[in-house]
Amino acid sequence: MNMTTFLFYFFEVVAAASSIALIFIRNVFYGALLLISCLLALAGIYVLAFAEFIAVTQIMVYAGGILVVIIFGIMLTTKISGKPLVVEHTYLFSGALAGLSLLGLFIFYISKEPFDTNPISSSTGINSLNTIGIGLMTDFALPFEVAAILLLVALIGAAIIASSTKTKKM
Amino acid sequence: MVSFIISEKYSWIVSFLAPFLLLINALSAGIVFYYTWNNQPLAIEWTWFPVGGTSMKTGIYIDNISALMLVVVTLISFLVNLYSVGYMAGDRDIKRYFAMLGFFTFSMLGVVVADNLLIIFIFWELVGFSSYMLIGHWNEKPEAADAAKRAFILNRIGDAGFLIGLMIIWSNTGNFNIAELRSVTTMAPWQTAASLGIFCGIIGKSAQFPLFAWLPDAMEGPTPVSALIHAATMVAAGVFLLARVHFLFTPAALDVVAITGCLTALMGSLAAIAQYDLKKILAYSTISQLGLMVTALGAAAPEAAMLHLFTHAFFKACLFLAAGSVIHTLHQAQHQSHTTFDVQDIRNLGGLRSKLPYTFLIFVLSGSALAGIPLFSGFLSKDAILTSLLAWPGDGFSWRWLIFVGVIITSFLTVLYTFRMIWSVFAGPEKSTTQLTVAEAPAIMRAPMTVLAAASIWLIVSWNPFDFSGWIYSGLFAGMPSHSHLISIFSTVWILGALGVAYTLRERTFHSPLLLNGFYLNRVYKEFVETPVLQVTQLTEQLDKKWIDGLLHFSAYMQLIVAHVTGWFDRAIIDGVVDDAASMAKGVGSFIRTFQSGKIQLYIFWAAFAIIIFIIWTLL
Amino acid sequence: MFPIHHFLYLGALLFCAGLIVVITKKNMIMVLLGIELMLNASNLNLVAFNQFHPGTINGQMFALFVIIVAVCEAAVGLAIVIQVYRYYQTSVPGEVNELSD
Repeated sequence: MNMTTFLFYFFEVVAAASSIALIFIRNVFYGALLLISCLLALAGIYVLAFAEFIAVTQIMVYAGGILVVIIFGIMLTTKISGKPLVVEHTYLFSGALAGLSLLGLFIFYISKEPFDTNPISSSTGINSLNTIGIGLMTDFALPFEVAAILLLVALIGAAIIASSTKTKKM
Repeated sequence: MVSFIISEKYSWIVSFLAPFLLLINALSAGIVFYYTWNNQPLAIEWTWFPVGGTSMKTGIYIDNISALMLVVVTLISFLVNLYSVGYMAGDRDIKRYFAMLGFFTFSMLGVVVADNLLIIFIFWELVGFSSYMLIGHWNEKPEAADAAKRAFILNRIGDAGFLIGLMIIWSNTGNFNIAELRSVTTMAPWQTAASLGIFCGIIGKSAQFPLFAWLPDAMEGPTPVSALIHAATMVAAGVFLLARVHFLFTPAALDVVAITGCLTALMGSLAAIAQYDLKKILAYSTISQLGLMVTALGAAAPEAAMLHLFTHAFFKACLFLAAGSVIHTLHQAQHQSHTTFDVQDIRNLGGLRSKLPYTFLIFVLSGSALAGIPLFSGFLSKDAILTSLLAWPGDGFSWRWLIFVGVIITSFLTVLYTFRMIWSVFAGPEKSTTQLTVAEAPAIMRAPMTVLAAASIWLIVSWNPFDFSGWIYSGLFAGMPSHSHLISIFSTVWILGALGVAYTLRERTFHSPLLLNGFYLNRVYKEFVETPVLQVTQLTEQLDKKWIDGLLHFSAYMQLIVAHVTGWFDRAIIDGVVDDAASMAKGVGSFIRTFQSGKIQLYIFWAAFAIIIFIIWTLL
Repeated sequence: MFPIHHFLYLGALLFCAGLIVVITKKNMIMVLLGIELMLNASNLNLVAFNQFHPGTINGQMFALFVIIVAVCEAAVGLAIVIQVYRYYQTSVPGEVNELSD
């Protein structure tokens, strides 16, 4: 067993474990931390799938940006009481039903499908970063621009939504 | 021939109208008699109503016997009506009295002329009803009402037997007509039963043993009523019926008839000896004479019985009317002198010969006929009976000789009590009537008595005072062996001897509570009939209460249970179904309502679920 | 380098886990975490299939844009969550059901 295989399985196990644990966790904060670990493991898997740029982007954007914002949200939406935030489960049966049946379906289809299971042996020298940069400017210029506009809109929208402070007495 | 008129409510006119109508009645009967005597019987028939397949007929049949009876009934009824005008003058209910008298005559004539046993039965009942009304005429007296009720009930008991006999005849021959029944050969073994059934009716109506207890008590009615009903007509209806259907009786039944008649005759005469009441003596005497007639019928000699009936009607009615005149005049005298004693008790009377000479003569005439003294009609008819009884047993010795002896004893006793009666009323010293001024009865009462007394002489029967086969006898039956000289001589001697014995015993009083009370027959009825019947009724009442009511309760309970069960069924199952349907709808509704609950996670779940289902459905 | 089912199974697992988290958690933020998990699962699939097309970067470009959209969505979503929290004083998604009947 060489190092890559071990790393791959390691990252896989971490990702799987943390996602399963996320189902059962009660503490929201711990849940966020679990998600971070899952995302980082996923980034590692991306690297082993020859997608370095995506891996880095994942770490930077997801784990560094979004999760931090989420933690900020957690802090802002809990009542200051000193106790850790514990949430209960709801619709457990329904959720399990849907999830497990979907999992079963996926496993069924994946096992049936004769994929071409020949991965490329090794990196064939693609500098993914370079290629992604060029692609962004040439082939994917339109999605790039649209994504830029989307980011702008999202930014302004989030700012506006979160700024007004009307409270309603329930 | 048959006239029935209920008088209108004009009381003064009734006393005139009724006897007048009855006179017309009698005259027309005489005409009928003239035409049908010894000729073909007159028969008219018409259909009455159809029942099922057969039709009930009714009609009139007049042969010799019924023609004779017609005359007797109408004549005596007319005379009694005339008499009643005087006797019942001033009575409160005189209208009802004459109406009932007319009604009685009507029903009696119906019995006489009917050709059909069913019609006879109907008129029989009517006779019983009218006699009930007449006996209880003075219905403010409880004894009178009681006596009337007893008469009717005892009559009814006899009629039950009659009805059974009728039914047997009908089921065997399908015909009631007397003329046609004559041609029926035999209906053995039912014929004895049928004839005994009819005889039951006769026992009731003609006061034979054991149903004679009503007749002495029926003396509560007015004396003319007693004369008409109990001397002449109603009690004679039984004898008449027996003579009519005589051909129907088997020898065995005839034996029963004869024994019953003899018993009745003996008991009647024995009881008459011990009576104190004037009218009761006459009542028991009637019973005894009727027994004689029935005995003659049982000896297969209906002619002798009819002859005795004919003569008995006249002299007994005369006796009753005479007794009535004695009572009437003494009542009038009582009113004037304001004393009260029972005028009917012969112990209170005596020596009235000087005060009531005319009545005394009447009494002697008719009493002699009753006693059977020679030169009177009664002697002749009794002779006829004795002769037929002599011829009856045939050769050798049989128990029928006992009947003969019984009849002889009865005639002896008859003389005794008749003599006693006349002697104690008219002869001897006066007892309670010494202070009274007694006047003779009014002419209107004396006239009928005179006619009837005249009829008690021998001339009415035949020219020869010693030969009874006169015009009546040979008219009724031809071919009867002629009378036996032996009998006539014997009976003459016998009667004169009895007269002598009676004279010597004239002052002796005869005490016997048994005979006085008519052999306590009423008590017997009460003990043996009334109490068991009451017990039976009580038993049935218990039965009804326990079982029938119990059955009702049970069925009510069952119904209640069934109601409960159906209620449970209705509630649990039927309502249950309805409830379940409703709750199912509610459940489905509330389930579907969750689709719109507003909970986001539910929405997401259902969306995912839908997609899963879609994948499974299409791609699997 | 590795057979593709490894990636695919993991992706399926992550996706279903994310779905369960979305449906069964009572906190709005947890729901957002579940959504992110689902998006990441799809990213994994894209990148995994990209291995089999050497020389092309379509899968990775798609994954990049998915990340960008996820960022936008997470930002706006959080803004909404904070605003809803301020308004309804609760962070339980089931209690915000004014849209129900």
